[in-house]
Formats: sequence, C-alpha cells, structure tokens
Amino acid sequence: MSDQNNKEAHVSLLEELVLLVVEDDGSIAHTAGTPGFGMAVIGACLVELNMQGALDPDLDAMHVLDASEGRGPAYDEVLRTVAAGPVARTEEWVLKLYPMAQDLIRYTLDALIARGVLERGEKRFLWVLKERSYPLKDGREQKEAKRRIIDTLLSDDIPSAHDTVLLGLALVGGLLEGFLTRGEIVRLEKRIQEAGGIDLTVRAVETALSQEQLIRAQEMIYPF
Amino acid sequence: METNQEKTANALILMPEGRLDFGAAAEFQAALENGVAEASGAGLAIIVDCAKLDYVSSAGLRSFLVGARTAREKNVGFHVCSLVPGVAEVFKVSGFGQIIPPLADRAAAEAAVAS
Repeated sequence: MSDQNNKEAHVSLLEELVLLVVEDDGSIAHTAGTPGFGMAVIGACLVELNMQGALDPDLDAMHVLDASEGRGPAYDEVLRTVAAGPVARTEEWVLKLYPMAQDLIRYTLDALIARGVLERGEKRFLWVLKERSYPLKDGREQKEAKRRIIDTLLSDDIPSAHDTVLLGLALVGGLLEGFLTRGEIVRLEKRIQEAGGIDLTVRAVETALSQEQLIRAQEMIYPF
Repeated sequence: METNQEKTANALILMPEGRLDFGAAAEFQAALENGVAEASGAGLAIIVDCAKLDYVSSAGLRSFLVGARTAREKNVGFHVCSLVPGVAEVFKVSGFGQIIPPLADRAAAEAAVAS
C-alpha cells in the first residue's frame, strides 16, 4: 500500500488497543490472552460506540441511542447484542460481552491488515508503517499509542478524551508492563491513577474485571 | 439543555441547566470552548456552576474533560461548583474530580478564583 493510501486509513481506539499487543517483531504479547485485555477490548468498543452516538452509558445503565449497523463487524456485533438485551449497568454488559472479545480482536486485526497498517506473516504480523505511527480519525498524523501513553504519563497536562481512555484501558489490560519497567510504573502510579480512565466506561471495565477475578478466586477456593 | 452565563470581575460563569447527555454534549462543549476563548482574552477564569445541571452521561462528562483541557492549554483557571448529588457521583466515580476538584458552591468558587 502506498504512503498516500496509508494516510487515508484511520486507526480507532479499539485498533490502537489491539496494536499495543503486537510487539515490534510482530509477535503477539502474552497479555493478549488475559481477561483484563479481553475486557479492555470490550471497553474500547463501547467507548467508540459512545463517541459515535450509538450508546451513552451513565452510572445506572447503558442507553442505546442508535442501533443502526454498518459500523464494522466488531461494533455491529456488540451493538446488536446490547440493543437486543435487557437494560443493565455498563459493568454487567462488559461481563456479558466478554466472551466476544476474541472475535472482536480478530475482526480488528483483519481491519488493520485491510487498512495496510499490518501485514500477515507466518505466525506473526508485520508492521507496514515505519516507527509504528499512523493516522487517527481526525486525520492528524499521530505518534504510536505507546509513545502517547508515555508522554501523557510524563506530563502534567489534562489528557485528551482519547488518551485518558487509552491509558485507562491499557492499565486494565495489563499492557503498561509491556513497555514500562516495574519501577517506572511504581514511580508514575499517582499520575497513572490521575490521568488514566477519566471515563465511565473505563471505570465499569475496572469493576467488571474485579468481579470476574472475585468469581475466579471463589471457584479456585470452592471448586465443588 | 441550555447554558446561561454571567461575568464577574474575575470570572466568566457558565450555568448549564437540564440534562447533559450525548444529544447536548456537543453544544455544551462548544459553550465551554467559547467561554474559555472569551475568558482567555479578558484575563478571567471559568466557573461552571452546576446547580441546575440534573444529569451527566458519559458523553457529557467528556465535554467537561475537553473544556478543562482547553482551559489548561490556554492557562485559564477552570472550576466547577454546586454539583447535585447525581452529578457529583459521576465526577467522583470517573475520576474527573481528581483533575478538577469540585467546589461546594458559587462563593467557594469565586473565592478560589480571587485567591
């Protein structure tokens, strides 16, 4: 694909999150298989649908505003499920949608390949764009997600709506450990908590993950 | 939803009224950004008095975040006050209150601006 064509491709929040588990050598990070990452993927999809005006969560429920399809397979599948389901809080929806995470990741990788951001290699993906930079929806060239997360953490600025969600979901998904040392995470903990996930859906993903971990812990202790 | 405004010696006060959901978020965000531009030119701070703001959804919260970020970029003080309990809960749960700690009432906000 030419550079010009690449500039016309737009990378969404969901795609950015999935790209964070594609290592520089094209292999997939082990964190991609964790419940935290799966729920972060669900969260990214729900935030995108919120930004598109299809959903609008509050503290009590996930409100469906526009259930029309044609948004792409990942978004259509999630929206169809939420629109057909009962009224429920966002964290409940994250838990219900979590089994779909693997499909959403596959749809997203397919979309990234179709847009020319990645190429499929043998048991790995190949980065097409140099330095992992790519355009976002508003058409501006952006630094890759890892670099923007680090910049957000090293700054005192109020993060953009996009970057606070990206940081919050990267934290929930256990992705920060992939490019920050444990010491750096400890040193930046206050800033991570302050700047990450200033968003109701991200908070709901955190709650859902805690609930899921509690259920698994109980199953481990009381297996019968 | 509508957003009225007043001006004091030190601040431009925005007073949103009603429900701040997805349908109202873009208009409110524009009101905040216009307010920040006006305040920046006049050397004023922004106070968002939420006494008559009944409801904030996720999209509405995002417009507050964009407004606060724009104010920070332009070095304009940005304060929120007089939150009703439901809105205060959204600010608390989301973590927005850590970035912009809400003040109890208009008097507290005006005192913060004057200090």
